[in-house]
Amino acid sequence: MTAPTLNQVARTGERSSFLGRASGSPLMRLVARRLFVSILIVWAISALVFAMLAAMPGDVARNQAGMGASEEQVDDLRRQLGLDQPPVARYFLWLSAVFRGDFGSSLISGQPISTLVAERLPVTMELVLLAFVVSLAIAIPVAVLAARKPGGIFDRGVMVVSMTLLAVPNYVLALLLVVVFAVLLRMLPAIGYVPLSEGIIPNLISVTLPVAALAIPLAAFYTRFLRGDLVEVMNSQDYVETARSKGAGPWRVLWQHAFRNSSFGMLTIVGLNIGGLVGGTVIIEQIFAMPGLGVMLLQGALSGDSPVVLVCVIIFAAVAVGANLVVDLMYAVLDPRIRYGSH
Amino acid sequence: MAVTDLTARPTSASVMRASALRRRLLVWVPAGFLLLLMAVCFLGPYVLPLPSPIGGSVLDSALPPGSPGHPLGTDTDGNDVLARLIHGGRSSLFVAITVNSIGLIVGGLIGAVSAYAGGVTDAIIMRALDILIAFPSLVLIIVIAQGLGPSVPTTILALIAFSIPAVARLARAATLRVTSMPFIQAAELSGSPAWRVLLRHIAPNIAPQLLSFLMLGMGIIIVAEGGLSFLGLGIPVPNPSWGNMIFSGQQALSATPLQVLWPSLALLFTVLSFNLLGENLRDEMTGR
Repeated sequence: MTAPTLNQVARTGERSSFLGRASGSPLMRLVARRLFVSILIVWAISALVFAMLAAMPGDVARNQAGMGASEEQVDDLRRQLGLDQPPVARYFLWLSAVFRGDFGSSLISGQPISTLVAERLPVTMELVLLAFVVSLAIAIPVAVLAARKPGGIFDRGVMVVSMTLLAVPNYVLALLLVVVFAVLLRMLPAIGYVPLSEGIIPNLISVTLPVAALAIPLAAFYTRFLRGDLVEVMNSQDYVETARSKGAGPWRVLWQHAFRNSSFGMLTIVGLNIGGLVGGTVIIEQIFAMPGLGVMLLQGALSGDSPVVLVCVIIFAAVAVGANLVVDLMYAVLDPRIRYGSH
Repeated sequence: MAVTDLTARPTSASVMRASALRRRLLVWVPAGFLLLLMAVCFLGPYVLPLPSPIGGSVLDSALPPGSPGHPLGTDTDGNDVLARLIHGGRSSLFVAITVNSIGLIVGGLIGAVSAYAGGVTDAIIMRALDILIAFPSLVLIIVIAQGLGPSVPTTILALIAFSIPAVARLARAATLRVTSMPFIQAAELSGSPAWRVLLRHIAPNIAPQLLSFLMLGMGIIIVAEGGLSFLGLGIPVPNPSWGNMIFSGQQALSATPLQVLWPSLALLFTVLSFNLLGENLRDEMTGR
C-alpha cells in the first residue's frame, strides 16, 4: 500500500512477534527491560562508531598542525589531543568524561561540543517536530476522507498524488520549492534561519520551506498507510459491522471505530519514522543552510572532526531508539491485552 | 473477519474487466519503462552516437536544448546533458542493482538462518540488527562514505550496510511464518539436513515476499545514492550521477534552470516505476 523506507518495511513485520514475547511480563518489568535494552543499544552504537572513526584513515594532528609543522610539533599536538593513546584506552577515557558531563571539544574550532549541541539541537528539533505536526495534520483528514469511499474520485486522486510525491526525493522537492516560492514568487527566503528569539513569525517564515520539504513526502506516506489500514478495518472487522448495524452513521464508524483502531498502526509507523526523519534532516539543513545538528554532523564528517561526528551520531541514534521505546511503551499502556499480560 | 459483508455491492463484468486492465497496465507500463531505461543506460553508451559525458569544452557551455549534436543542451562545463544523463543512470542503476542483490542474498541468509536456528543464535543476531537499525541510516552512510573517501565501491559498501539489516529483519519474519508449516516438519522428520531445509523449502517460500520488497528497495537505494552524490559523498565528480547532476544543477539554477530538471525527472520516473512495480507485485501475491 505504501512505499516506506527499508527499515520501516522490515520492522513492521516484526512488531507483533516482539510484542508477543514481551506480553508475558507485567508492565513495569517491561518498561524496565526495554529501557535497559535501549541504553545498551545506544552504548553499543557509541562503541561501534568510535571504532569506525578510529579505523578511518587520515591524521587529524598532522592536518591541524598545518603544512610547515615539524615532526615534534605534530607529536605535541597529537599528545595534546590525546591521539597518541591506543583506541580502546581513548574510548574509555571518552566514556568516563561523558559520564562526568564532558563531551569533549571540536578538533577544528576547539569549542566544547556541549555548547555546539545546545546551539544546534533546538533547530533540528524544531524542523522535525513541525514536520511531524504538519504531515499528520494533512494526512489524517485526507486519509479519512479517502477511506470514506474507497475507489471514489477523491480516493483515486489522493492515491495518484501521494504515489507521485513518494517518488520525489526530498532534495529534489526542496529545490522545486526553492525555485517556485523563493525564485519565481519571491514569497519566502531560499536559505537561512531566524532564531525564535527574534520573533515567532520571522522564525516560522524562515523554516517554512525546509519543513515543507520534510513534511510533504511524510504526509504522502502517512496518508497511504492510514488510508490502507482504514479500508482494511472497515471491510474486515466485526466491530465495524456491529457499529453499522447499531445504526451509527458512516462518519461515526470511520472516526470512532475504524480510526481509533488504525491509530495504533499509525503510532508504530510514526515512531519508526523518527529515526529516518532525523537522518533526512541532514540534506535538508544543508540545502536551506539551517544551523542544525545535521549540518554539524556533515561538516564534522567532511573535516575529520571525529569527536563532533561521534556525539552527533549518538544523539541521532538516541532519538531513534528513544522514539521506538516510547512507541512500544505507549502500545503497552494503550492496549489492555499487553498491559495485563495476556494475549 | 466479518461473516457476511453487508456493504458489498454486486460488480458488473465490465467494471471487473476495466479494473483488471488497469492493474495489468500498472505492472506493464513501469516494467516496460524500466526495461527501456536499463537498455538505454547499459547499452546506449556503446550503441548510440553520444558525446563523452566528461571533459567538455567551456566554449560549448550552457547550450540550450535542441542545439546541434546536443539534444538536451550542455551543462555549465560544456558536457552533453543527454550523455551525462545516460551515464549517470548507468551508475545509479549499477549501484542499486549491486546493493540490492548483495543485500538480498546476505540479508536474506542472515534472517533465514537466524529464524530457523532460533535460541541464542537468533537472539544475538537480532540484537546486532537492532543496533544497526537504530542507526539513522543516512548518518551511518555519511560516516562510512566520508571515512573511506567517495568512490563507487565505497558508495556500494555504505549502502549495503543499510540494506542488509532491513532485508534480514524481513527475511526473519517471513521465515518464522514458514517454519511453523507442516511441510517443514515433514522435511525435518524425513532427515533433511538443515542447509537443505533452508535452501529447498524455506528459500522458495520467502523469495516472493523478498522480491517484491526488492523493487521498493531499488527505489530507496537510488534515492539514497542520489542523496549521497548530492552531498558530494557518492559517485565522485566529474563522473556523472543523477545526484551530483542535481547538485551542479542547483549551483547553476539561475543561469540554466533546465539543468536541474532532467536528472530530477529521470530520478522521479525511475523511483516511481520501481515503487509501482513493488506495490503491485505485493498486492498480487497477497491477493488484494
